[in-house]
Amino acid sequence: VTEIRFVTREIGSLAKPGWRVKAIAGRPVEEGDAEDARRWGERLGVEGVEELTELLSKGQDFTDEEKQRIRDYAALYGIRLLERAGLDVVYDGEQRRSEMYDHAVRHAKGFATRGTVRSFDNKYYTKAAVVERPLVEKAYDLEEFEFVRSHTDRTVKVPFTGAYTIVDWSYDEHYARDGALLGSAAQRAQARRDFGLDVARDVVRPNVAGLVEAGAGWVQIDEPAATTRPDEVPLVVEAFNATREDVDARASMHICFSDYNSLFPNIEALDDCYELQLEFANRDSRELGTKARPGYDVLKKFAESAWDGKIGLGVIDIHTNFIEPPELVRDRILYAARVLGPDRIEVNTDCGLRTRTWEVSLEKLKNMVEGARLAEKELNGSS
Amino acid sequence: LPEIRSYAPGIYARSEELVQATRDLDRGRATEEAVEERRESDLRSFLDAQREAGLDYLSDGLLNWQDIFRPFDEAARGLEPGPLTRFLNTNTFYRAPAVTGEAPKLVEPLGEPYFRIGDLPRNRWVATLPSPHALAVSASGELEPRAVAEGVLGPQVRWLAGNGCAMVVLQETALFGGRIDVYPLSDALDALQSPLPVALQLPFGDSGDVLGELVELDVEALGVDFYATDLEALPRPFPKTLLAGVVDARNSLLEEPEALADLGQQLLEELEGELHLVPNGDLQFVPEKIARQKVLRLGEAAKVLKEEQ
Repeated sequence: VTEIRFVTREIGSLAKPGWRVKAIAGRPVEEGDAEDARRWGERLGVEGVEELTELLSKGQDFTDEEKQRIRDYAALYGIRLLERAGLDVVYDGEQRRSEMYDHAVRHAKGFATRGTVRSFDNKYYTKAAVVERPLVEKAYDLEEFEFVRSHTDRTVKVPFTGAYTIVDWSYDEHYARDGALLGSAAQRAQARRDFGLDVARDVVRPNVAGLVEAGAGWVQIDEPAATTRPDEVPLVVEAFNATREDVDARASMHICFSDYNSLFPNIEALDDCYELQLEFANRDSRELGTKARPGYDVLKKFAESAWDGKIGLGVIDIHTNFIEPPELVRDRILYAARVLGPDRIEVNTDCGLRTRTWEVSLEKLKNMVEGARLAEKELNGSS
Repeated sequence: LPEIRSYAPGIYARSEELVQATRDLDRGRATEEAVEERRESDLRSFLDAQREAGLDYLSDGLLNWQDIFRPFDEAARGLEPGPLTRFLNTNTFYRAPAVTGEAPKLVEPLGEPYFRIGDLPRNRWVATLPSPHALAVSASGELEPRAVAEGVLGPQVRWLAGNGCAMVVLQETALFGGRIDVYPLSDALDALQSPLPVALQLPFGDSGDVLGELVELDVEALGVDFYATDLEALPRPFPKTLLAGVVDARNSLLEEPEALADLGQQLLEELEGELHLVPNGDLQFVPEKIARQKVLRLGEAAKVLKEEQ
């Protein structure tokens, strides 16, 4: 009998260390920042810590070449942090990217930045408008991927911002220019579809295809906006399929903070989607040993669906500093395993950890891995 | 002839400077006082823009509301800020009001700084609140819309009436996505016992399927997003005041005042009540510089339309 083992991984982003942010932004890197780099470097076993701290001791006026080395180190720290936590699958914590939306549109022609809007509380993001048919001419994350691949022996999963999310988070000054006011529902839907499929084929896919050609074996399409407009979930699926077309790699999709009920039955039309990585912990109780797990109730719908891919189970809330004990992670996994069967479960955080400190992120991830091991023991009968 | 008015209810956009100040606050690089100073400056600027646009009612922009429900989550017994949840139709989040078990009851009505009554012209300002139905449906846990109206929003509306507010816009965000049982909403509106005119606005969505039922509600006005709702869906003749969402608060594309006035002209032919030109939802969903332009164009459209009468 094959023993159950739950694959563990992060979803994408980690916070950027102060030394990386300040150096790239042209702000003075202080002694404390360099000390922070030394402390974390030693803790994570990062190679070349001395070289980095010496570089940071310059304090300011970093050259482009020096900034590049600092970015490389930030990526290396990200990889090592995820490895140290014990994850099976890693990336670099998106240390080279500004933010998931901005990173995607700033590399595409056809978008113009319009300003800052609020996401929630005092959290904001920069929003752009599509002003002409968008286009990416070549893969722009190659350097990032090749660095990760050459600095880890773990499985690598590359996150990409999905087409639908780019569409939904952008203003539309091109496709919707005619007929926005007093246009028919059909006109509005067609404008959104044209925009979505153009982004999938001409913005996201060129980058995905370039990385797969360079050796990427697993691409994760991030669609946090997937259920923002429930009637457009079919477009989310169509955009995933258009992105994935002729891409010879494992492809999965990440969705979070969404109403998963609206995914049904649309996900049945996904083409070869290995897994949906979903957020649940944010909506669950912290109670141990309970049979009810309110955050994971919706898994029953996945169990009933004809779509039979894996579920990347979000077991760590990324919006709180609460460190989930391994036993809570275990309980969440066991609940999901009862509903879906253990073979359909892999384990991850709800979303990227970019709003948490490295200290909190590391503790959360370690407990996530430990919780997965506890669940395995229980299921494999060796507890 | 029907009365024509224009105004900009809801949460207004924060300036880039206020954005930076709040970011600095969260990072320990700015004080609360510095943020409040910046917020005051934003309020002045927004009020000035509305006056320059010639809007008929002013709004304070709810600049310190973290989301449309939060002040009530924090000020009512029986509620507390719950899990971060995505709003339908906008890329934003709110803390779902979490039910603690006790019947919801506002400890005392929200005053300053949530409603800037000292800065608003008496009897010429509009307040925005969540609809009791939207708050209840958006809650984490079982909550009756009627209980929200009786215990939380009713007392607030009566306080507003005593403090110079001219009308209340209730944002109803929970009637989309197939939820079209209007009875709980109707029941809650009855329980609200508002001494003020009430407008029920359905921001950012196609309200065509429910308008036929909504016109039966005991409210003075209904708000329709004309960027998502077909004009043909409007019951004719429209028996109430119409808050026509003619400025798109979800898109950076700037509207032409003449085109808005043309639409206004078409709408006037269908109305039995007044015509109020408004954005189709909170202007916080566009950067402040664009929001300001939209306010000015909204006022210009109303001016053109009034001149045509």
